[in-house]
Amino acid sequence: MSESNQITRRHLLQGATLAGVAVVAPVATRINAAETEAKHAKPAKTEVTQRSVPREAFEVLTATESDLLAAIVERLIPSDANGPGAKEARVAHYIDRALGSALSASRNVYASGLAALDRYAVASRGKPFLQLSPTDQDSVLIDCETGGATGFVGSSAQFFGLLLSHTKQGMFGDPYYGGNANFVGWDLLNYPGVRTSISDADQKALEAKTLKPIRRSAYDYNGFNKATASADGHDDHPDDIQRTAGAHHGD
Amino acid sequence: MKLKSIAALTFAWSSLFLAETGIAQQAQIQTNTQTLIITSPTLKAGEPVPTIHTPDGRNESPALRWNSVAEAKSFAVLCEDPDVGNPPPFVHWIVYNIPGTATALPAALPIDNSMPSELQGAVQGLSGFRRAIYRGPAPPPGKVHQYHFIVYALDTTITIDSAQPPLTRAQLLEAMQGHVVGKGELIATYERRK
Repeated sequence: MSESNQITRRHLLQGATLAGVAVVAPVATRINAAETEAKHAKPAKTEVTQRSVPREAFEVLTATESDLLAAIVERLIPSDANGPGAKEARVAHYIDRALGSALSASRNVYASGLAALDRYAVASRGKPFLQLSPTDQDSVLIDCETGGATGFVGSSAQFFGLLLSHTKQGMFGDPYYGGNANFVGWDLLNYPGVRTSISDADQKALEAKTLKPIRRSAYDYNGFNKATASADGHDDHPDDIQRTAGAHHGD
Repeated sequence: MKLKSIAALTFAWSSLFLAETGIAQQAQIQTNTQTLIITSPTLKAGEPVPTIHTPDGRNESPALRWNSVAEAKSFAVLCEDPDVGNPPPFVHWIVYNIPGTATALPAALPIDNSMPSELQGAVQGLSGFRRAIYRGPAPPPGKVHQYHFIVYALDTTITIDSAQPPLTRAQLLEAMQGHVVGKGELIATYERRK
């Protein structure tokens, strides 16, 4: 992962964002933009971006915490030539939602850990984490991973380990839980999908790498529902089915 | 006979263990090796490592300089802390296959796989953190630790298998056996406050 690659990824993402913004820009804004001289194009785009991309609500984390968490998980699993990353998988949203349910015991750990990480970024690199370059963000995260970062309750490595574990869950877990949006994590792994049976033809297609993946949550199958999940000891959010219905279950 | 077998087995296991862990492993120094003088614009012998080279700062690798060695085909640099590690030393930094014409490492080597053009071919090895980058002193508070920045001049270059991860200290020292034509070190210190 070279610096040049990181820059390319960022530019691609920025370009995609601007393209998306242009489509939904309010008519009034577009008229204003047309009337604006080329020298004013940059401020106009900034204004469009601010108006057209409202903050998406998080359920548990504060705005400061959620911004920081999103930036961290995007560095842990970045979008790159291999495909979408933690941002597209909505990993931060998975963690936020889980902190209100199955992972609620970790809520305070996140509060103190995220605050400590940002303080450490300022103390060691002179800026809050969000204002650091991707390379410096990576460097800060490595210091957390290796236990060198200071100011944490316990070791920074403990918090990093927890964060990485939850990031993997959000990236590669069943979309039912709010992460792995549009199955981007499973696509990254070439996971063939949840299947209740495998035919000979399926097996041969899998070995030939021509098997079309099934993109359905386990909860889309009749035999695996909230009752069976609870019987297995899962602690689900009461609104799980309603929240995920139709959002991530496309084939 | 049985005792002999046990003793032989024990010796074999011990040798394997030592080779793996590097407890007794030191690069074999040839008798006619040249002493290298190691200097740095930021590190001073016997003095604390500046925080910019530690996780209390930006954690950037320090610049190092050494004298040229006519027979050198490559140089290797290690930073290790003999006060800790299981087994000691704990390795903070490894760079090998530095071109034999080089007499310095610039500060702040990248934390990705890239290398400055003047160091093309050089590779960062796996440290005690299992990462192929520099991570500086971060000792537990309460005790001064020593950090040995060691430069080896080698009459060979280390064979690289691109399918394998970069070398660890033990693997590098094994590969260097019989090829060391110069060595020098700069010892600095660091202590973290409680």
